[in-house]
Amino acid sequence: MFDAAMAVVKPEMKSYIWLQTVDGSIQQVEEEVAMFCPMICQEVLQTGLGSSKTYAISLPQRVNPAMLGLILDYCRFHQVPGHSNKERKTFDEKFIRMDTKKLCELTSAADSLQLKPLVDLTSRALARIIEGKTPEEIRETFHLPDDLTEDLCQEEKLEPLRNITDDPRIRLLNRLYARKRKELKERKKLKDVEVEEEPKDERSVEDLLSFINGADGDIKGTRANKNKKKNRRRKDHAKDISSENTNENDKELNPLPSAYHDVNFDNALEASASKHSRTQNLPAINFSPKFEFIDGDVDDDLDPAMKEELDREVEDFARRLNSDWPERMQILSLGQDRRLVPISMNSNGSTHLYTGFDQR
Amino acid sequence: MNCFPDEVIGHIFGCVTSQRDRNAVSLVCKNWHRLERCCRKSLFIGNCYTISPERVIERFPELRSLTLKGKPHFPYFSLVPSGWGGFVAPWIEALARSRVDLEELRLKRMVVSDESLELLSRSFVNFKSLVLVRCEGFTTEGLAAIAANCRFLKDLDLHENVVTDLKGQWLSCFPDCCTSLVSLNFACLKGQINAGDLERLVARSPNLKSLRLNHTVPLSALQRILMQAPQLVDLGIGSFVFDPRSEVYNNMKNAILKCMSITSLSGFFWVYPHCLSALYPVCMNLTTLNLRFAAGIQNTELIKLICCCGKLQRLSIMDCIGDNGLGVVAATCKDLQELRVFPVVRVGGNGPTRVTEKGLVAISMGCPELHSLLYFCQQMTNAALITVAKNCPNFIRFRLCILDPTKPDPDTMQPLNEGFGAIVQSCKQLRRLSLSGQLTDQVFLYIGMYAEQLEMLSVAFAGESDKAMLYVLNGCKKIHKLAIRGSPFGDSALLMDVGKYETMQFLWMTSCNVTVGACKALAEKMPRLNVEIFNENKKVDRDVDDGQKVEKMYLYRTLAGRRKDAPELVWTL
Repeated sequence: MFDAAMAVVKPEMKSYIWLQTVDGSIQQVEEEVAMFCPMICQEVLQTGLGSSKTYAISLPQRVNPAMLGLILDYCRFHQVPGHSNKERKTFDEKFIRMDTKKLCELTSAADSLQLKPLVDLTSRALARIIEGKTPEEIRETFHLPDDLTEDLCQEEKLEPLRNITDDPRIRLLNRLYARKRKELKERKKLKDVEVEEEPKDERSVEDLLSFINGADGDIKGTRANKNKKKNRRRKDHAKDISSENTNENDKELNPLPSAYHDVNFDNALEASASKHSRTQNLPAINFSPKFEFIDGDVDDDLDPAMKEELDREVEDFARRLNSDWPERMQILSLGQDRRLVPISMNSNGSTHLYTGFDQR
Repeated sequence: MNCFPDEVIGHIFGCVTSQRDRNAVSLVCKNWHRLERCCRKSLFIGNCYTISPERVIERFPELRSLTLKGKPHFPYFSLVPSGWGGFVAPWIEALARSRVDLEELRLKRMVVSDESLELLSRSFVNFKSLVLVRCEGFTTEGLAAIAANCRFLKDLDLHENVVTDLKGQWLSCFPDCCTSLVSLNFACLKGQINAGDLERLVARSPNLKSLRLNHTVPLSALQRILMQAPQLVDLGIGSFVFDPRSEVYNNMKNAILKCMSITSLSGFFWVYPHCLSALYPVCMNLTTLNLRFAAGIQNTELIKLICCCGKLQRLSIMDCIGDNGLGVVAATCKDLQELRVFPVVRVGGNGPTRVTEKGLVAISMGCPELHSLLYFCQQMTNAALITVAKNCPNFIRFRLCILDPTKPDPDTMQPLNEGFGAIVQSCKQLRRLSLSGQLTDQVFLYIGMYAEQLEMLSVAFAGESDKAMLYVLNGCKKIHKLAIRGSPFGDSALLMDVGKYETMQFLWMTSCNVTVGACKALAEKMPRLNVEIFNENKKVDRDVDDGQKVEKMYLYRTLAGRRKDAPELVWTL
């Protein structure tokens, strides 16, 4: 009699916890499953919430209904005693088979619920996705901004060159560098309004890491191999143009670089390269910002008679600014002999470069 | 990913263990750079002159584990002059001054002083792991300081160091409360060890897994040690000499029978071959066997031993095993992944035949999992290399050292171009390659074309013109270590693509055709490269003509500028 009564009462004692996600939806979850999450467990014990629909526990913002469903599946399996380690591993392996985006969301949600075993599991899965990839590939996989190499590369390239022989061309180039550095600072100033915290050690960070350990030569931002093929160079130009088009802010903040991506300028560069001409006849209109800048300074420093020659040399500098760094260094050292050498990506160009060095 | 809180990203970074991947992670974006910097605990620096210690400490304030390398890597020749550099003192001093809580330090080919070891032992409360590989400059007094002061020491691993032994009492400096040892390796020490101190230390180290003894530890002590530490996994036996008909043999055999966890065996500096049968019971579980210095084990006994090792994955032996011995290895060790065959020093020209291409072909047929090879041999043929390339396409490291480095294919008298060409074409993951034998520019063309993953290349007496070097520099995008000896590469090869050197860890050229003038020009063009020239052990005349050929040139990239500790005989341009 008494035993029968106990049997009847037992099913009615099954407990549930009510959970509410940020979008307002509420659902009922078995207590032992929900309590497997430390955050929910704490909330129940401390506040007494969760016992009814009107007193549902509000989950953190990072937990949306889809993620909650996945997490509860995980808890449902693992809170049951008696599963062997092998069974648990098999479940885990199947469980984390999902795309990267969902895996990121799940990691974030599990972290907010303080579900450490699941955070460990998903973190290891994400780490495996990262392994073996270049920074570019990682950026692409996780949709992250390319805000590190860009700034560092530009800042580094604009360091003043040593002007041992007081070459007016070096002086002029340093002036252009100073101007560009100033622009970068102003742009950075705007960014700083948004960015609260900055890394302390920013300068040459990329070099630091690539120098410390044998980084792959093809990591972006590392010194590019000078001997690029012609097609590759053309492709790079196309890439620059498209990236410039998609970034209006940069264009507005950085009028000088946009001149370099002008289609006419690129065409002229190609034409001059194919001609192997030592004199560059590029449309003057593309360089008006620099002309304006240079006109003000030339009168102070140089003989007016040299002005015409300087105009040609300014065009030459502009071309060099677009060169890859090692190429620029090489050209500059050749240029100190006051002998212009045409740049060509074919083998003849290489020979010419070396010939120039040989005659030094 | 941007919605992630920092601790989650840090947690993910914690699961990224490879140094290279950590470096890649830190270059992704500003936020990742900042987070990676703050949670990076382990750092590998391939050249101690690449970066200043202050800079490293500033950038990685949470550093716990540091690996450093010093001298350039030429262990088989005295190509680096004594006193060249590689001093660890500035690093330990900088770390000691900082708030870094260092726990692990691994040094390779560095000069370490007793003062540095003393400072190290006193400066880091939680220090637990010291690994010294091919270092020099310290004595057992430095080791005594480490033993006495590092309360939580787990690893003391001395591997092929040159150590001055002042006294054998340094083991007694481990305090009685020291019970934390997991790994103890002093196989390279020459001096006497106090066996009683060693036995007591082993007895109170329940977690000891790796123990490598030097040749002075007596057999009786070894037996007692094995009885006390049956949990050992890695055992290095220094001396193994006793009468196989004596009671000692039975006692040793019984002790070894209790050590069924042993998977790695090494040492045998002094060995009586007939005693080896006492080890047969543990051989069946061995995955690593290192008989690199076991000169006393000859062909027959060596083969008997290997016949018992059916699970070997890593094997280091001397070439007295012969081709027939390698045939036994091939038949027995189906899981072999790494093989190193070293030359025995022969006196008077007599002795067992060295290994040849036949042995290597047998290995390639029997061990399809082989991915790492170091092979000193009498000769090699193109046909054999082509066969090896076909049988073992998984090579990551392929280092061939023909004892006559300009020897052609003895069957055809042709250069070995086609053989090495087959290796680089077939082994897609090849990262390290050492060339040997007669070779022309053709082999470098193959390397430039096919060796896409190649990171390190060693060249000796090979090639015909500058084109060979250019093929490698232009073709191997990932090359970052290039060592060239006795090859006719000159100034035009050196100066053709100077920007490439900033993507490389080092370029080493010795007995080539580069001139002082070219080195000066290179140094001037590339301020972030250190270009050092030096002779064997003689000072380079600073007023030498620019056209003078450079005997040795060592070029490496650096953010730290010229080093201040270069000796007079090293000229940094």
